[in-house]
Amino acid sequence: MKNPVMTASGTFGCGREYSSLINLDELGALVVKSLTLKERFGNPTPRICETPCGILNSIGLQNKGIDRFIEEDLPFLASHDVPIIANVAGESPDEYVQACARLNEQDEIAGIELNISCPNVKKGGMLFGQDSDSASLVVNACRKATEKPLIVKLTPNVADIALLAKKVEAAGADAVSLINTLLGLAIDVDSFRPSLASGVGGLSGPAIRPVAVRMVWDVARAVGIPVIGMGGITDANDAVQFLLVGATAIAVGTANFMNPSSTIRIIQGIEDFLKQKGFKSVREIIGKAEV
Amino acid sequence: MPDIFNTTAKVLSNEQVVSGIFRLKLFCGAIASACRPGQFVHIQCGEGRDFILRRPFSIHRKDGGGAFEVLFQVVGKGTKALSNVRPRETLSLVGPIGNGFEIDDGMRNIILISGGIGIAPLIFLADELLSGKKRLCVLLGAAGIGKLLYSIDLKRLVRKLYVATDDGTSGYKGPVVDLLPEAIDEFKPEKIYACGPEAMLKRVTEASKDLSIPTEVCLERLMGCGVGACLSCVRKVKRNGNEVLARVCVDGPVFDAKEVIWRNSDDFGGVTPHT
Repeated sequence: MKNPVMTASGTFGCGREYSSLINLDELGALVVKSLTLKERFGNPTPRICETPCGILNSIGLQNKGIDRFIEEDLPFLASHDVPIIANVAGESPDEYVQACARLNEQDEIAGIELNISCPNVKKGGMLFGQDSDSASLVVNACRKATEKPLIVKLTPNVADIALLAKKVEAAGADAVSLINTLLGLAIDVDSFRPSLASGVGGLSGPAIRPVAVRMVWDVARAVGIPVIGMGGITDANDAVQFLLVGATAIAVGTANFMNPSSTIRIIQGIEDFLKQKGFKSVREIIGKAEV
Repeated sequence: MPDIFNTTAKVLSNEQVVSGIFRLKLFCGAIASACRPGQFVHIQCGEGRDFILRRPFSIHRKDGGGAFEVLFQVVGKGTKALSNVRPRETLSLVGPIGNGFEIDDGMRNIILISGGIGIAPLIFLADELLSGKKRLCVLLGAAGIGKLLYSIDLKRLVRKLYVATDDGTSGYKGPVVDLLPEAIDEFKPEKIYACGPEAMLKRVTEASKDLSIPTEVCLERLMGCGVGACLSCVRKVKRNGNEVLARVCVDGPVFDAKEVIWRNSDDFGGVTPHT
């Protein structure tokens, strides 16, 4: 990666949508919206609402399905000079495995991120990530289905995220990324009903940053594999916090809604920070926080 | 790829035109020259991290000299903040976004029907149609005379103006769409453009479908990214016999009225403002 900044899955579509606004080639990596084996319609609207310094979302993994992604979107992505990481979701371990096998055939894909804990799917099968054993089961099975780098995205909605991270490392993950969204609920006091059509959604944005930084700190000390940190990063100073507690890369999500150029500004901001402090590379600050 | 800019605009003026409705004039040459009727700008309504989501506003008018206007109603946190911006302040904008209205040069008789703040994009459209020498008939609906906008200007500029208010303080008492059948009958439009509450748009669609008059509606939705990536703003539409999800931000906000699936219940519906 040319820099430690990636896009957070779900906030950047498949890159095409932002290509008139930023130069995709400047990104460290591009993580696309979650893909499932079959097309998914997703949840009814409203799917989003603003909360203090954050947003709640319940998109419901709407996507065109892996086959159409490979046919319609991958060629566009591959024409750029940025590593493409496919985020994958499923309702059963077998769906994850089939998805990994399918993506394994695509040379243009640099890596796979397993979304084992998106809170926005109702069938119950999506909560693999909240139980270490079922998480390990999925990771193990996917490990056998692909040789590509396997990143496992962790949910914060667990009692012990470091333990979860250790289990997925043992099951074969090449890296972990965290945090996914926090479970949240907003009620409209005029209608007495939730602000999101689906009720409970996922909280993201600046409000969750301290939760995410603490969890990255815990996980980075618990595993030997690289940790990708995310959760409320809006500027370079936020990003540096994650690097200082041990993340080797970071992802930017909700900030893209605040400003479509957030990723680029953060890339530049990290460089400025390093220069200002007299560091020659990002490596010199990873894990250097004295907690 | 269409021209879209992530930029800033200088506030030239911000006036309350009627109770609760503001007209914000902004200077931004890039957006002003690129924008077309039916498109919108995505505005950051406040500084800092308390405003995560931008708010979308139809482009209301442009003056050809680098300035354009948005017309908005104060309904929640973002619009409240926007109502307080002062001249010489700077706002962060992304735009112009969206597909815009389709204008057919061959068509001469056009009806515009507006409900409430739906007038916002229709004035830009009216300006464009009038400069193309089209014959316009406008149906203007508002809650009451205190919320009626542009009735005097439109009366001067268009062939025929119908006014309707919910409380009867001006014109016909009742929904403006009640007047559409008569307007169609007298004016014989080749196209209808509509913007306003969904209940109104649904009835406009029914009226025009029966008579096979091409009709475009301008929709709105709570938006996330505003550029087509996050899928927050989707709406079910019929395409090639299938029900698909269209993104109101970039696949719209203007839709062929026949495509839109108008439901009674609120499945894929809902535009509750953020508070």
